[in-house]
Amino acid sequence: MTDTEPASTASQTTTTTAGETDEEVRAEWTDYRFDGQAKLSVENLNVWYGDDHAIKDVSMDIPENSVTALIGPSGCGKSTFLRCLNRMNDRIKAARIDGSVELDGMEIYDSNANLVELRKRVGMVFQSPNPFPKSIRDNISYGPRKHGDINKGLLARLFGRDDTAEETELVERSLKQAALWDEVSDRLDDNALGLSGGQQQRLCIARALATDPEVILMDEPASALDPIATSKIEDLVTELAEDYTVVIVTHNMQQAARISDQTAVFLTGGELVEYDDTDKIFENPASQRVEDYVTGKFG
Amino acid sequence: MSDAYANENTLVSTESDVYDRGLDAVISLTVLGFALSMVALVDVVPLDASGSALGGFFLALLAVTVGGVGVAGLASWLNVVPVTSQRVRGIGLGLLVTSVGVTVLAYGLGVTLATLLGLVLVFEAAAVAAAGVVSRVGLVDTGPDMSAGLLAGGAFGVIGLAIGAALGGGLVGFQSLLWPVVSLATAGVLAVLAIVPREDLGSTLPAALVVGTLGVVIATSVLGPGWQWNPQTLSGGFTGGAVIPVFVLFSSVLAAWSAAKARAGFGAQGREYGAFLVINLNALLMLAVMATIVVFVTVKGIAYSVHGLSIGAVAAMVLLAPLFVGAVQFARSPAGPDEWHAGARQGLRVLPLAVVGAAGAFLVGVLALGEPVYYAFDYTVLENRVENQLRTAVAVTNETTVGSLLLVLAGFVLFVYFFRKYGTLRNVGTASDRLALVRQAVTMAVLAIAALTFVFLLVGPVPFGITPLWYAGLAVIDLGTVAALALAALPALGVLAGTREASLADSAQDSAPLFTLGVFGGLGLLTVTLFLQPVAQVAPSVGPVNLVTLVAMVATAAMLAAAALVAVAGRSADTRIQRRFLAEELRLALAGAAGFLTLVGLHVAVTGIPQFLLGLSVANAGTLSWPMVQQAYIPLGTAPGGIMPAIVGTVWLVVGATLFAVPLGLGAAVFLTEYAEQGRFTALVEVATNALWSTPSIVFGLFGAVFLIPRIGGDESLLAGMLVLGFMLLPLVLITSREAIKSVPDEYRDASAALGVSRWETIRSVVVPAAMPGVITGVILGVGRIAGETAPLILVLGSTLNATEAADVIGGFRFMAEPPFVANEALLSTSASLPTQVWAVIAAGVSGSPSMGWATAFILLMVVLTFYAVGIVARTYFRRKLNYE
Ligand SMILES: Nc1ncnc2c1ncn2[C@@H]1O[C@H](COP(=O)(O)OP(=O)(O)OP(=O)(O)O)[C@@H](O)[C@H]1O
Ligand SMILES: [Mg+2]
Repeated sequence: MTDTEPASTASQTTTTTAGETDEEVRAEWTDYRFDGQAKLSVENLNVWYGDDHAIKDVSMDIPENSVTALIGPSGCGKSTFLRCLNRMNDRIKAARIDGSVELDGMEIYDSNANLVELRKRVGMVFQSPNPFPKSIRDNISYGPRKHGDINKGLLARLFGRDDTAEETELVERSLKQAALWDEVSDRLDDNALGLSGGQQQRLCIARALATDPEVILMDEPASALDPIATSKIEDLVTELAEDYTVVIVTHNMQQAARISDQTAVFLTGGELVEYDDTDKIFENPASQRVEDYVTGKFG
Repeated sequence: MSDAYANENTLVSTESDVYDRGLDAVISLTVLGFALSMVALVDVVPLDASGSALGGFFLALLAVTVGGVGVAGLASWLNVVPVTSQRVRGIGLGLLVTSVGVTVLAYGLGVTLATLLGLVLVFEAAAVAAAGVVSRVGLVDTGPDMSAGLLAGGAFGVIGLAIGAALGGGLVGFQSLLWPVVSLATAGVLAVLAIVPREDLGSTLPAALVVGTLGVVIATSVLGPGWQWNPQTLSGGFTGGAVIPVFVLFSSVLAAWSAAKARAGFGAQGREYGAFLVINLNALLMLAVMATIVVFVTVKGIAYSVHGLSIGAVAAMVLLAPLFVGAVQFARSPAGPDEWHAGARQGLRVLPLAVVGAAGAFLVGVLALGEPVYYAFDYTVLENRVENQLRTAVAVTNETTVGSLLLVLAGFVLFVYFFRKYGTLRNVGTASDRLALVRQAVTMAVLAIAALTFVFLLVGPVPFGITPLWYAGLAVIDLGTVAALALAALPALGVLAGTREASLADSAQDSAPLFTLGVFGGLGLLTVTLFLQPVAQVAPSVGPVNLVTLVAMVATAAMLAAAALVAVAGRSADTRIQRRFLAEELRLALAGAAGFLTLVGLHVAVTGIPQFLLGLSVANAGTLSWPMVQQAYIPLGTAPGGIMPAIVGTVWLVVGATLFAVPLGLGAAVFLTEYAEQGRFTALVEVATNALWSTPSIVFGLFGAVFLIPRIGGDESLLAGMLVLGFMLLPLVLITSREAIKSVPDEYRDASAALGVSRWETIRSVVVPAAMPGVITGVILGVGRIAGETAPLILVLGSTLNATEAADVIGGFRFMAEPPFVANEALLSTSASLPTQVWAVIAAGVSGSPSMGWATAFILLMVVLTFYAVGIVARTYFRRKLNYE
């Protein structure tokens, strides 16, 4: 659990297609910059679960209004990395985080950072669907209601500040965005736990969209969906990228290739091996291991 | 019994109907023996009863069986509750046959109940053994295992030890050292018999031996009802009256297990059925114990407690109204999938409605008759160990007055019911700016009047000696009342006005904002003006007093008119959505009517001025007369008195303790589970709560008497009782709440946090609601315990026996402008309570008649069961909310 570990693992890695070491590859793409400002900027991020070093010295910049895919074999730390971006790892007792993540140039690991505000701006869809045991409508409007953007209830009604119409509109818009509206429009007051697994996952996406975040973190949002719903989600992601910054974890290479602008490849051990334009990663990766992984020879 | 057994014949073909039906009959007989031993145990029929006394009982039993099986059979034949399982059918038939059999035996042989039970056991033993042998020699096709198993062997060994010891003691005496040898030998024989032979013999022969031996011993009166054994080393002893039923109970379970195994053809299926029956009989035992206690207390206490009960027909109708609504709701719930079942079920579903309807018709009949209807009966009470005959009657009178309290109660229940059901109507926004303005104005008015009430409450009706303020108060009452009336009239008028341009249905739909405004605004305004009145000390002579009730009555009528309009509109609605919408509007209007009706009752209750309208009247003195519940003195003789102060005392104790313990317990649970770092401290708190929960109640009482009382008033008091019971309730609420909160999945917390919701908000709106059913379960259990708690109350509440006045907690509040601002004499005075009264009357011998104590115990039981019912309804409500809808 020392900080020198990343260096040692890096040095023992294989060579690239061009005969370079991983380290030289990395030196190449760390300079990878985009036109414009990085929305999220990660610098030397390390995460330990107890003695288990799950993320090793990761640095990357995520551009605004784009889709960034995170790929890599199971257990390599994609979810862990994603959770670092809105400090959800703080909620895990065993986790220890070191390094820096900046959102629009502001350090989110600052001790004065406002977690509530951060998570309003950086929304998240979890790997397994987790709707609340409430009605579909209440699931969607939960976030805005708690933020005070939507007022409901006796007091609001008495003071004439009842936002029921806004709520109805928000619920409809969010559900339509998540491609769920047609299936549930006539049972918005039913309990969300009565939905199928795939429907629940889309509900969670709609719920995350309803709070209108700037960045949306998605952990395999399509893993429980059929091809039609998946393609709807993919369309949604592409569409979202116009206004939002999307970071998406996926196990599906074609999906990553289809929807993302840039792709980060994590390999076992929690290292970020290569990060570049998606086309480059899939057509001409610098690292031999990445080429093996994306062509299915390894991982 | 489970449908898993429905098709068993395809798995084990016994090829013998005699075998199957015979064993079904044996199983029925064991169930019957089980029930009979319960009956004997609680002394409903003495074990030495014989002849006509016994015969009469068995005839009654026969009637019950024939009735029960008959109804079930009819339901099955009619396909209402189709019974397809051969085994269930067999047992039904078996119950009929065997109860006919024992009845004939009881009449024909002229033996005692004990002998009869012994004979039943002998017969069971023979049948079980026969089944085992028949299976072993291959007359029927069964699938037994190699052996009944070590577990069964061990169990029979232990049984053998006990029987052998008794046998040895009886044969050679406990002085001789031979009896342990006999005991061990019996154990060995039984164990070997169970383990060595094939399973069919191994699980029938030892059981038959045990059951048969016990049967013979009981049937031959070696162990008879008069049998007694007083070991020198014990101060107590065993009597036949207790031992025989226990032995029969045990033997029945054993025989049932054995017969069930045989019936299912041994093997895995046999073990399954055997375990199924034993577990069921076990559960039945729990149920029987509970039922026995309730029945026992009811039988002993009911006659005394309904002495002189009578109620006016109109009051009874008001009482019936919530039941009527409930029955309608039940009848409307969806029926089964196919038509035939749907039809039959629909029939069952309208049954409650029919019953309530019949009761209503009866009440109308009483009114039309113009004469009360009586049911008179005699019963005996004990007075100084002498039985006295008392004659009384329960009656429905033709009075047309409704008690204000009854009206408030029924009205409020209906209001809550309809209000809860008005659903998505609340999502309708305000149609126009003008309406929004009115809505805001009404809100402001309600708040202002409430504030005015508060001021009057603090500084008296003539604030700072300024009389004009009092007149202003009067004006507010007048204006508020009139405005409330206007608001209440809005919905009906709005719908009617709309029909000039649109159809009735469309107009009703468009008027939705008027409905919400009219109901909530009207109710709100009238409620606050109502409370301003007594606080401003408006005397009846001043004027507006009667106005409020009048307005409330007219408003009720206006709401009913609106409801009727919407109901008619609903018939002509075109779309499903519109129909649903109008149905909700209808409910809202009905909620409004119920609410205004509640206010009528409330106003009469507060001012004490009766109201008359169209021959009906509302008054504080209602027509319900229930001396036991309403009167407030304990008689010294046998003339029935009442226990009103004790009932009120117990209700306040429970309410106070719950109000104290639930917020504290839930709060502590939230802190410990959600905020505190799990470690030494939380572990320590956990140990402390568990210890607190097991602390004897008398210790709580001592703590209250020595620590609390000197600090709050210095004397035994209701408040001290509430606090002590609250302390007792606290640990249970804490423990169950903690478990409930812990079992809320972390995913919910993560999801909420990821939406940028703070921890406290998450707890409040996700964690606690999800934990609510668990929390309520804890409260139900705890309330059940503290409501009947006696020992600590004797110490801190006082065992007031001559209380002639109920604690007036609500009326006891006094407000003042200087500290401590609020005082309550009733809370600081001693009070009666049901458990202490039962203790005093029965154990301490206060009052001449223990019958009074039994009646008190009966009412205590009813009060506790009512608390249970409320708790269970609340829990079901929260569960439903979490799981669907
Ligand atoms: N709460 C935790 N406590 C301890 N170790 C954890 C925890 N969560 C993850 N890990 C470990 O961290 C490593 C990375 O896990 P992570 O969930 O980030 O993988 P992943 O790339 O998302 O895998 P998958 O594709 O299967 O979802 C794994 O070795 C895992 O065992
Ligand atoms: Mg993952």
